[in-house]
Amino acid sequence: MDALTSLFAGFETALTPLNLLWALIGVTLGTLVGVLPGIGPALTVALLLPVTAKLPAVSAFIMFAGIYYGGMFGGSTTSILLNTPGESASIITALEGNKMARKGRAAAALATAAIGSFVAGTIGTLLLTFAAPAIAEIAVQIPPTAKFALILLAFVTISATFGGSPLRGLISLAFGLGIGLVGTDLQSGQARFTLGFPELLDGIDFVTVVIGLFAIGETLFVATRLRKDKGNVIKLQGNASMTREDWRRSWKPWLRGTALGFPFGAIPAGGAEIPTFLSYTLEKKLSKHPEEFGQGAIEGVAGPEAANNASAAGVLVPLLTLGLPTSATAAILLAAFQQYGLQPGPLLFLTNGDLVWGLIASLYIGNFMLLLLNLPLAPVWAKLLNIPRPFLYAGILVFSTVGVYSLNNSVFDLVLLAIFGVIGYGMRRFDFPVTPAIIGVILGPTAENFFRTAMQQSGGDYSVFVTQPSSAFILVIVVLALVLPPVLRARGKRAA
Amino acid sequence: MTQPAPPSKSALSLPDVLVALGITLLGVLMIIGTQRINSSGMNTIVGPRVFPMIISVGLTLLGAVLTVLALRGDRAEPAAEEDTDPDAPVNLAAAGIILGGFLVGAFLLLPLGFVFGTAIMYFSVAFAFGERRFGLMLLVSLLVAFVTYELFTRGLGLTLPPGILKGVI
Repeated sequence: MDALTSLFAGFETALTPLNLLWALIGVTLGTLVGVLPGIGPALTVALLLPVTAKLPAVSAFIMFAGIYYGGMFGGSTTSILLNTPGESASIITALEGNKMARKGRAAAALATAAIGSFVAGTIGTLLLTFAAPAIAEIAVQIPPTAKFALILLAFVTISATFGGSPLRGLISLAFGLGIGLVGTDLQSGQARFTLGFPELLDGIDFVTVVIGLFAIGETLFVATRLRKDKGNVIKLQGNASMTREDWRRSWKPWLRGTALGFPFGAIPAGGAEIPTFLSYTLEKKLSKHPEEFGQGAIEGVAGPEAANNASAAGVLVPLLTLGLPTSATAAILLAAFQQYGLQPGPLLFLTNGDLVWGLIASLYIGNFMLLLLNLPLAPVWAKLLNIPRPFLYAGILVFSTVGVYSLNNSVFDLVLLAIFGVIGYGMRRFDFPVTPAIIGVILGPTAENFFRTAMQQSGGDYSVFVTQPSSAFILVIVVLALVLPPVLRARGKRAA
Repeated sequence: MTQPAPPSKSALSLPDVLVALGITLLGVLMIIGTQRINSSGMNTIVGPRVFPMIISVGLTLLGAVLTVLALRGDRAEPAAEEDTDPDAPVNLAAAGIILGGFLVGAFLLLPLGFVFGTAIMYFSVAFAFGERRFGLMLLVSLLVAFVTYELFTRGLGLTLPPGILKGVI
């Protein structure tokens, strides 16, 4: 019942006219960047951080939450109408939804994606409402050794376990951790890796790294390999809507997708990709007409889209209760909390209850707004896909410049931005995932802090990590997450 | 997830080897950099060198493994993005134009002001992406830069350099 009381208080915060306006701006921006290629929710929140520094924290987070959910809604529009997924979690939607659209069923595909996202998002938020405070209560007792082990677990699963190449993921992570070290060490006051530049004494702002690796790197990469044909955006006739038959075939996949997506988002398992694939396989297996799959089966859009959105809600559970981000966007939200002087974790519910509950309440509101925004306005969003690429990418670059320049009003930061842009290009060219580097930059300093606190408490005894039961248990999982996938892959290869 | 069979491992890819060597070198340089961190006279249990050391040694080892694999013929597949064509010929000049325009714009940001600095950036990206309607590009560049300036300075209260337009806008 406590959760309900707090939630009602949260609605009081979120339902003020000004905060409703911020939520509306957030979901609109989120849908916009979700639809547009070359820019996504992670990048948008990073870009907005410096320019929203003057907003009250609650309003800023209500807007960020809108962007976070909105990006998911918008992403499905692009993958259905353009058959080129903006993010790995939309691969399935691109596959099945685009087939539907080609058969003239674009309206139904968009509708089942939007309504499914709404259902999954709402159920996911509901689960978050009740799970988060319960987990926070347990999490208060987690010792620093286990917190450090948890961060290690997130590092390993995000970079090695579920990516294409564990080696490349770990290199990306180590690079990010190294960047995170640049600057003055707060505990000893010593400069580290500053190469003698006084500008680097304060460290490299993660915003510069994120925008460089994502926006500039992407712009450079796309410029070198631009698709010359216009792509074939499928024309949408009328609004997104579904027939009675579509509803009958969609509602079960929505619920099953939600059930798969939420837990996968909540554990550090590398985001929404896995549950969308699982949901697709499951729907294919349960379907009475599996032959339709791959030809445009509505279940194959409904299930994965729901899984995608439910996992987005799930990701917020470890973020809010443990301060542990499990996706790039979550990592940036974590950094956003830190910029406002807040540390997500179990104590956040006690010290900043009004903010957390305002944020959670705004998720319900945002989801509802997104449904209204996406069903009737689908044709408007679809038009965005026709923006000429030269003007689109040029605009992204200009906004990136504003975001980074306004961090410190310094041209030095812009040079750094260019350097990270070139690195981002190289990572795309040589198949290094970007997310582990982002997680490393943002979570690295926190990891070092927990490590030091744990050492201080144990009086310098390194064995404390294996003798303390909860951290020993997590470390075993870390080792398994690192060792098991290559072993299984090798065995799979031998069997094949 | 379902990737096609790994590409043939016959030919050695020079770029891949160079990247792998570069990563290893970065790791070694970081180890040297770690030695330069002042940790004398610290009575803390975990000094400022411990974490940098773990990360630099880790990066060096990972780089070494990648080098060995690259020397055995492993090569990376470039990423597939929304607007890219994996079969298109690689046009590195386009990236050079963007980068050049960006740096020129960045260094002229203070003397000329935000509007003209970012207009240069905008123009060079549009050019690199194949747009050739110069009049339109000029107009849009200046318009986007101007609207952005007004939006962020008046709307959100940021300070952006006015440059030569000081007092005019």
